[in-house]
Amino acid sequence: MSIRICNLPFNSSFAPQPRARISSRSTRVFARTENDTQQQLNLSVLRFTFGIPGLDESYLPRWLGYGFGSLLLLNHFSASAPINEPQLRSEALGLSLAAFSIALPYIGKFLKGSVVEQRTLPEEGEQVFVISSNIGDSLKEDLAWATYVLLRNTSTIAVLISVEGELCIRGYWNCPDQMLKAQLHDWFKKKVDEIGLADVKETLYFPQYEVWFIGSSASWDILPNGTRSLFVQPLIQDINEPQKMDGFLLVASTAGYAYSDKDRAWIGAMAEKFRG
Amino acid sequence: MEARIILQIQIPWNPNHKFSRRPSLYLPRFFIRASSSTSQKPRSYRGPKPSKNLVADFISRNDDLARSLPIYVGGASLLAVLFNRTVSGIAPVADASSSQSRADLLALGLAVTNLLTGLVWLSIRPKSITPVNPEGVECKVVVSGLPTTIVSELLWAWESFKVATCCKSLVIVYNGICLIQIGMVAESTEDKKGVIVNTDKLMQGSVYQGVMKSKAQSYLANLSLYPGRSELPFLPANTQAVILQPLGDKGIAVIGGNTIRGFTSSDQAWISSIGEKLDATLGRYFIDSAAEVSPEKD
Repeated sequence: MSIRICNLPFNSSFAPQPRARISSRSTRVFARTENDTQQQLNLSVLRFTFGIPGLDESYLPRWLGYGFGSLLLLNHFSASAPINEPQLRSEALGLSLAAFSIALPYIGKFLKGSVVEQRTLPEEGEQVFVISSNIGDSLKEDLAWATYVLLRNTSTIAVLISVEGELCIRGYWNCPDQMLKAQLHDWFKKKVDEIGLADVKETLYFPQYEVWFIGSSASWDILPNGTRSLFVQPLIQDINEPQKMDGFLLVASTAGYAYSDKDRAWIGAMAEKFRG
Repeated sequence: MEARIILQIQIPWNPNHKFSRRPSLYLPRFFIRASSSTSQKPRSYRGPKPSKNLVADFISRNDDLARSLPIYVGGASLLAVLFNRTVSGIAPVADASSSQSRADLLALGLAVTNLLTGLVWLSIRPKSITPVNPEGVECKVVVSGLPTTIVSELLWAWESFKVATCCKSLVIVYNGICLIQIGMVAESTEDKKGVIVNTDKLMQGSVYQGVMKSKAQSYLANLSLYPGRSELPFLPANTQAVILQPLGDKGIAVIGGNTIRGFTSSDQAWISSIGEKLDATLGRYFIDSAAEVSPEKD
């Protein structure tokens, strides 16, 4: 049984485009064309930016909403004279605008062409790579390749493939250290059986995986801390083809909304490979 | 789920049921719990089901409306602030003296933020490009003599490309043989069938040579602009985009798509990973078959 812990070459994040700097007082808006990294986008335009690397301007409406909203409240409570109606009306308008601005980045996330959050690797924990020893070499090779490719080409940090009950686990998982590989495989198998993932009939996608899911069953804590997206793809069963293998493929990521339609289509294609 | 079998055993003390005056005594009931082993069938899934996100669905369906929404909101609030001022008889003076003007200024600032956000969203709308139906005939030609594992791997690659990308045609040439030609194929003028790949001509052409020399994937996002188009006569004439993926240094996969710039960078990464896998599988098969042949030659 060949098991090794690999250092996976994760996708390097795109090099930041050179951005225009701005003077301390005024903000200047520059028009320029950008070479986009996704061929389907055509980003040739007016892009407002402060030029501070690492600062995400798409969240600016939210900060302005909070800031102006609190100033409005301050203004309201520090008004000396009894407040007249027109002022109440403008304050109501201002507060609802602030609420809308706060919600704007959330709405923007669902528009076509929005930038997907980059994944962050968990600080603690080691990467594991465990393959069951009860399967043939060609299947082992396929599993090793498939898990490697999933980790490299999507924003996955943890992947688990189960084929006819035999598991291949790779990435960052919340498992006990100092366990032998064979025991680790059985430990994962037990946890997976408790959740009952083998029984899932259709794909499950949780783009905003919340920690409270753990309350439903303690077995979900095998997922690493900071998991935000979870996608389970069963190997689709067809009653006309009983000789096909069953199982499932589970991927988890620390970025929210990490799996777009295209990513899910590719993950489905990878699952097809193991159907036999 | 554990199956609980609850058995109730009532054993009458007196087996004589006829005219028994003595009250029959019952032994205390036994409850037997037996959990059936579920090792054969998978335990049913006990976990959360994904909930529908109505906001996300609405926005994905009405993309244009959602993009211009902040503009309407910002513009309407701007007008509302001015209207409020005129209606209440206060002069529209934008200074920070009274708390009314301060509140108005803050509302104006937020309205302008919304307007600008709406403009930014409208400007970064991705251009939608319509796919072009390839003109040609459906074809599925797999060279004979390959073992089923190899054939199923090639067909799996085709299915993946077809489902996940805009790919409509696939040709794989390896070790001087065209292993598979599948999907839409240009219709030949003589008969109504598809144009067969002329492997030798392909391998001598500049397209193939260039890809082999660079050992890297080549993405021709708009095939009509590419002069080497004539070296791929087997692809439908209106194929929009082509990816040429080298399989190691012995083969090439030609993947034709129906949309200009239809392959995203994620598609390219996946295609190159699958190309490496195919190269590993095919390479091993051809080395093994060559090793089988050579002892006979000796």
